[in-house]
Amino acid sequence: MPLRPSRSAYPLSWRVLDALEAGARGVWPARFARGVPWLMLAPAILLVGLLAVSLFEIADASLRTLDTATFLPSEEHTLANYARAFSEPVVLAVGLRSLGGALLVTLATLILAFPYAYAMVRTPSAAWRKTLLIALFLPFFIGQVVRAYGWLILLGNQGLANEILGLAGLGPYRLLFNYWAVLFGLVQYMLPFAVLMLAPALSAIPEEVEAAAGSLGANWGRTLLHVVFPMAKPGFVGAGLVVLTLTLTDFAIPAILGGGGQDFIANAIYDQFFRTSDQGMGATLTVLLVLVGSTLVGLVFALFGAGTLSLRGRGP
Amino acid sequence: MPDTPFFLQLSRRRFLQGAAAAGSLGAASALGLRTAFAQEPEKPAEIIVRAWGGSWVEALKAGVSDPFTKATGIAVRHDLTEDNEIQPKVWAAVAQKRVPPIHVNWDTTTNATKSALRGVTEDLSDLPNLAHVTDLAKPVGLDGYPIVDTYGYVYVLAYRPEAFPDGPPTSWKAMLDPKFKGRIALYNDGIGFHFPAQVAGGGKLEDIPANMQPAWDFIAKVKEQEPLLGEDPDFTTWFQNGEIDLACTISTNAREAKKNGIDVAWVVPEEGAKFDTDGLWIPKGLPENELYWAKKYIDMAIGKESQQVWLDGLGLPGVVPGLTPPADLVGDPSYPTKPEDFEHLIRISSKIQVENEADWFGKFKAIMQG
Repeated sequence: MPLRPSRSAYPLSWRVLDALEAGARGVWPARFARGVPWLMLAPAILLVGLLAVSLFEIADASLRTLDTATFLPSEEHTLANYARAFSEPVVLAVGLRSLGGALLVTLATLILAFPYAYAMVRTPSAAWRKTLLIALFLPFFIGQVVRAYGWLILLGNQGLANEILGLAGLGPYRLLFNYWAVLFGLVQYMLPFAVLMLAPALSAIPEEVEAAAGSLGANWGRTLLHVVFPMAKPGFVGAGLVVLTLTLTDFAIPAILGGGGQDFIANAIYDQFFRTSDQGMGATLTVLLVLVGSTLVGLVFALFGAGTLSLRGRGP
Repeated sequence: MPDTPFFLQLSRRRFLQGAAAAGSLGAASALGLRTAFAQEPEKPAEIIVRAWGGSWVEALKAGVSDPFTKATGIAVRHDLTEDNEIQPKVWAAVAQKRVPPIHVNWDTTTNATKSALRGVTEDLSDLPNLAHVTDLAKPVGLDGYPIVDTYGYVYVLAYRPEAFPDGPPTSWKAMLDPKFKGRIALYNDGIGFHFPAQVAGGGKLEDIPANMQPAWDFIAKVKEQEPLLGEDPDFTTWFQNGEIDLACTISTNAREAKKNGIDVAWVVPEEGAKFDTDGLWIPKGLPENELYWAKKYIDMAIGKESQQVWLDGLGLPGVVPGLTPPADLVGDPSYPTKPEDFEHLIRISSKIQVENEADWFGKFKAIMQG
């Protein structure tokens, strides 16, 4: 049988791919193959590089004080902003409030996220799983600010919560504009993040392991305590890290639900940049926040590993 | 950008010709623009004016922006970025020699003074309508006109009449009444409250800024009352939702809330109330033709016709003599028109405010966040 002419010997799509491969070889010859991983990393390196440059700029700005005669930063470098940050009680108060809030919110969120994630992963009903997933993702379609304003409506003096209390002859009570309202709003905001981080870790635990624990005499509580929790540790660590860092740097919820009197450190940074025009002091607080946040994350990594953030679903 | 006042060179003669022909300043502006059309710098498709939202921008639109568009054919886009947030953007643009993001900034005089001190504002001394304004338009402590102040306003004590069955409050000390615990509000940077607090705390205005301890002592007492701290829109929301009974806020916000059916009234207490000004300014770095039209915009804003409509909307006294107060504000202490009306109002120079604002802000925050 005679061979078909070469132009029609292969499908068009094959020939297109051949041409593309030839083109790619021209642009990136085979001898550059060892550079492929670096090429794939290039976007990430670019992004991290930009972040590093920005941080350097912020660090530089933090070493310059504001001249209120010209509203220009000083030419010379000084540690005066850092000295001020460590000597002003309000910075310490706001910093401790942020840190304490972040720890409390992380703890509360993990406690609430676990049963949700467990139910979502273990339910035998596909319909329930989908319902729980939809309920989990819905809040992502509503921004943080809108959700916070939603709480203003629900928890306000004339809101739904006080109306219900009023039916029982109670209140109205001031449910908003205090520390607990801020923490409540943050927990509600962080819950989906924590569930999303926990669910893969729980999925990775075979149901048979729990069944085996049961067959060896462990009740549900002991199984949870001695089998599920330890095996889900990477999920707790990953979820905890995400919630901790997001809460520590949150701006909108403390601003809206705190009534102006429950600032977190991000609010203090905003004030310095945008209210007093003191970019040096704002940059100083930013550097301190980055240092505290990084130290916390480093501590967790050192003590518990990177959890699901290591992308292996296991601890060290 | 050239240092020469090209606006003056390009348009003063045409403006004067137009004024002579029309016989009135407002008409002169419009006619001057028409007669000089062929020679005037190229018109941009739009100019961008930073403004506060809600009733503030609506009033500006009705009084200045719409008439400007009608007279020139140039659209006006209002950028509602907060004044504090646009400031670093403008400063960065000027420092990097980029075209700034706005043509005209509607700003507090204190904020604008910072920009003037930083050297990012254009000189507005050549605006024709400056010949017809009161001293209120001139920024105190600055050379020339890097800003043109356009009106004054008062930080009043706004209250819910239902909470005061025996009559309106007469003193800022009403905030210390235990029954109002958790039901009072201040601006979150304390603006408007420092100076009356100085008097209410037993101090003297002459001691500002050297000794403001009476103010801090009084504010510390107010802190015990667990005040809410917010921005302009928050006060309206809080009054509307029954969250507060008393607030230190600009009279415009209280008046707007009242217009919207919220039961709110206001007084200037016996200790006095802070009087301040807002203004308009142009950032450096605009193309010459856009600078020209931005100046035209500000010139129109201090014309009598524009002031009347704009400030009727805001309920504030302007910088042009002979404006008619809105009917609901005739005789209102928050709408001062005569020298004696200012006796109970506290006015501290922008220079002192700018120099000390960061310290005052820090002290206020230390008390409120402590």
